[in-house]
Amino acid sequence: MAIEIPCAFCGPRPFTEFRFGGELRSLDAPDPEADFARVFLPENPAGPQQERWFHVLGCRTWSTVTRDTRTNEVG
Amino acid sequence: MGTIRFEGREVSFAAGDTIASALFRDGVRTFSRSLKYHRRRGLYCGTGDCPNCLLTVDGTPAVHACQAPCADGMEVGRPHGWPSTEHDLLHVTDSLHRLMPVGFYYKTFITPRFAWETAEKVIRRATGLGPLPSTTAAERSVVRHVRTDLLVVGAGAAGLEAARNAAAGGTRVLVCDESPIGAAIAPGDALDRVRVIEAEVRAMPEVTVLDGHTALGVYEGLEVPLVADGELVRVHPGRVVVATGAAEIHPVFPGNDLPGVWLGRGAARMAGVHGVRPGEVAVVVAGTEEGLAHLETLRASGVRIAAVAVPAALAGRVPEGSGEVVVDGIVHDARGGKVLSSVVLRRGTQGKRFDCDVLVLSLSLAPRDGLARMALPGEAVELVGDAAGPDATPPIGHGGTVCLCEDVSLHDLQQAWDEGYRNAEILKRYTTTTMGPCQGAMCGRALTCFARERTGGTSPAAAGGSAFAAAARTTARPPARPVTLESLAAAVHELIDKRTSLHDVHLAAGARVDRSGGWIRPLTYGDWREEYRAVRERVSVMDVGTLGKFTIAGADAATLVDRMFPCRTDDLRAGRTRYVLSLDEAGYVMDDGLLCALGDGTFYLTSTSGGAVRTDARLRDLADRMSLDVHVLDRTAQWGAINVAGPHARDLLERLSDDPLDATTVPYPGFADVRVAGVPCRAVRTGFVGELAFELHHPRSSGPALWSALARAGTPWDLLPHGLDALELLRLEKGHVYLGQDTMPDDTPAKLGMSWAVSIDKGWFVGKRALERLGELPVTRKLVGLEFDAVPADVADVRGAPLLVGGAMVGRVTSAERSSALDRAIGRGWVRASEARFPSALEVAGHAGARARVVPTPFYDPGGERIRG
Repeated sequence: MAIEIPCAFCGPRPFTEFRFGGELRSLDAPDPEADFARVFLPENPAGPQQERWFHVLGCRTWSTVTRDTRTNEVG
Repeated sequence: MGTIRFEGREVSFAAGDTIASALFRDGVRTFSRSLKYHRRRGLYCGTGDCPNCLLTVDGTPAVHACQAPCADGMEVGRPHGWPSTEHDLLHVTDSLHRLMPVGFYYKTFITPRFAWETAEKVIRRATGLGPLPSTTAAERSVVRHVRTDLLVVGAGAAGLEAARNAAAGGTRVLVCDESPIGAAIAPGDALDRVRVIEAEVRAMPEVTVLDGHTALGVYEGLEVPLVADGELVRVHPGRVVVATGAAEIHPVFPGNDLPGVWLGRGAARMAGVHGVRPGEVAVVVAGTEEGLAHLETLRASGVRIAAVAVPAALAGRVPEGSGEVVVDGIVHDARGGKVLSSVVLRRGTQGKRFDCDVLVLSLSLAPRDGLARMALPGEAVELVGDAAGPDATPPIGHGGTVCLCEDVSLHDLQQAWDEGYRNAEILKRYTTTTMGPCQGAMCGRALTCFARERTGGTSPAAAGGSAFAAAARTTARPPARPVTLESLAAAVHELIDKRTSLHDVHLAAGARVDRSGGWIRPLTYGDWREEYRAVRERVSVMDVGTLGKFTIAGADAATLVDRMFPCRTDDLRAGRTRYVLSLDEAGYVMDDGLLCALGDGTFYLTSTSGGAVRTDARLRDLADRMSLDVHVLDRTAQWGAINVAGPHARDLLERLSDDPLDATTVPYPGFADVRVAGVPCRAVRTGFVGELAFELHHPRSSGPALWSALARAGTPWDLLPHGLDALELLRLEKGHVYLGQDTMPDDTPAKLGMSWAVSIDKGWFVGKRALERLGELPVTRKLVGLEFDAVPADVADVRGAPLLVGGAMVGRVTSAERSSALDRAIGRGWVRASEARFPSALEVAGHAGARARVVPTPFYDPGGERIRG
């Protein structure tokens, strides 16, 4: 695979330099029930998803990236 | 020109010879034995598609002898058969094939289970493509990445033209081919044409030619790895042109796998390129003009033609003296022993037998479109030339071998069909057709054709969508060609073992080292019990430079640490240290460490050795998502750390430092920046081993000097360094948890008995909501301290043992060791509650009579006076 992730600091780099951080979610929820959903019930969309990528073998900056989970197209 | 060594004898070769042509000239006819029935197999396709000529070359198995050029002194062998490929007693399986039906392994070795252990060894010896080399290659394959606008796979006429046309427009082009350009084309017009374009293309600055580079597959994002001798080229092309040409189709009839049966190009190459007659008397089946050209090549080399079968359209083009012309004839069957002896050509119901030792099959071309079929929809991969040609349907007769690699006969396919495997994809999986080294290059279409005939699914309209789908071609996947593990390994990031600056010092001291948390660390320098005593009774040093070390600075540093950790941090005064757990959003313990407040709003943090990268990532993630003005500086590689521990730790340091180190200036838990032996150190008081201890964090390069200064100054107390083995008992006696060894991935602080490290009433922190939620539920399993009775002398044996109550499993031992301080076997382990009550007396499974009692921790110095000392 040769997907490229647009790093906020370095620009597009091969995804193998990154650590996947999962889908972007809010930091907090108003109550424990909503928090359970926030932590354990991800949206997992078949389509564009906002997700986090950590440039661990590079500048160590986190980026929020929109990727289509069906095609891996990064927008 | 030179000689190769073949099974102990010398075989000479001529210029341009492949291994196959040299051996064939020497009289070798049986090149391999088939996988299952051990039938003789001879040269067949001549184009690197079929598995028949896979030999072991210089220790590397599965080399296509028809493609590999000879080199002087090469060692070549046939791996198949017992005792030899030529005289293979396992050939008896061919007459027993009714006892070895398709799905044989699944059906035969279900029961008794133990029989499989033996059977597998026997089967492994009887099958396969030869043993893997027992030694690794001297040098790793080199990996390089190449970006190009266009990658052309296949440097035949079509591929070279595509490259030339694109390059003429200024496009950067990379052309690859698994063989040298033109190597397989007989001298003549066709070769001349290719040579002309080749010269043009090589002169163009936009074009790079990589011959001898085999494309393995088309991967997502458009990446095409090319393997070559000693290198792996990962090509990232803008688009790909697949010009891999076509292969002659593999017809199915009884005897179609006998030595002497050739595809047209293989026979023509042997005669035309290498100048070796494939045999004396030939029957030629020519379905196309190319077939007639092969007929010419064979005649020119002196092969006598017994008969030619052609379609009516070509009947008038068969030259005089080509034996009997059978218009619209097909091969009914072929017979022979060591080699082919006769062929029956049939027209309608009329058949006639011809004696011959060569059967040349050139029926039609099937596009080699496998690489293009690996591409995802919408990816810029196109076929050109013969690879883009119309699909072909191989004729399927009344028997014969469908899959040459896996030795699947038409009979086997029919049997699988009758058993209910009525779809090309599951026929493939059940019979393993198309799953061998040729990856369906020969048999893929025959399999589809078989399914299509049975379902009637010739088109969506004729048979309904489902039948059509059932007979669709099976999915194409990489690798398209056999690939060595060495090449695959080259593409993998190598795990790097990290070493502290003291690594060589440890080795010089005779340390036994091992991998731990991504680092190479000393286990012991000799006698770990003695090292343990040095810590407890005197003074000792340990290299803890592997710890994660971070400086957290910036206007919002205090906010970050307060949100990151579940304990209060706002009351941490300058010069003080606090033990911190690090939780994830589910409230599970991810890591732990020490947080030091520097007093100017800056913090110094340590994490576990294995958790450093994750801690760094999590700190930065939180800072980024909260938009905090924070700098996280990873000091792990810059700073080393040496733990000086033992009752005389302060006495030792005072000999090397003018700075005050008393319990008021450097209290527990706290730290101070001091100079030790002239080295600037951050001395952090720690309690992990349970004695008075100073962790000296220092610039990495000063590590060896500091270490030897400590060792010299420690001689009055018989200072010994200690390693991980001693640390295991030191921390266990204190009841400290080893994250990862004692814990599971979903441990909350409460389950670990560490609720004291959580201030649930403070403001929001990572995992707070989850802990609030979980706080309403009872804790049903927890980590406890254990004391053992009647366990084996080597207490470590009970690590991992299940814990039972009345024979029912209620937990597991995670750590166990004989405590020197207590003279008892102690440990830690998990226990589960039953009806809200946790058991207190347990049996240790697997060790007769062994028992465990749940006891409070720490085992050693519960009041912690020794640490504070």
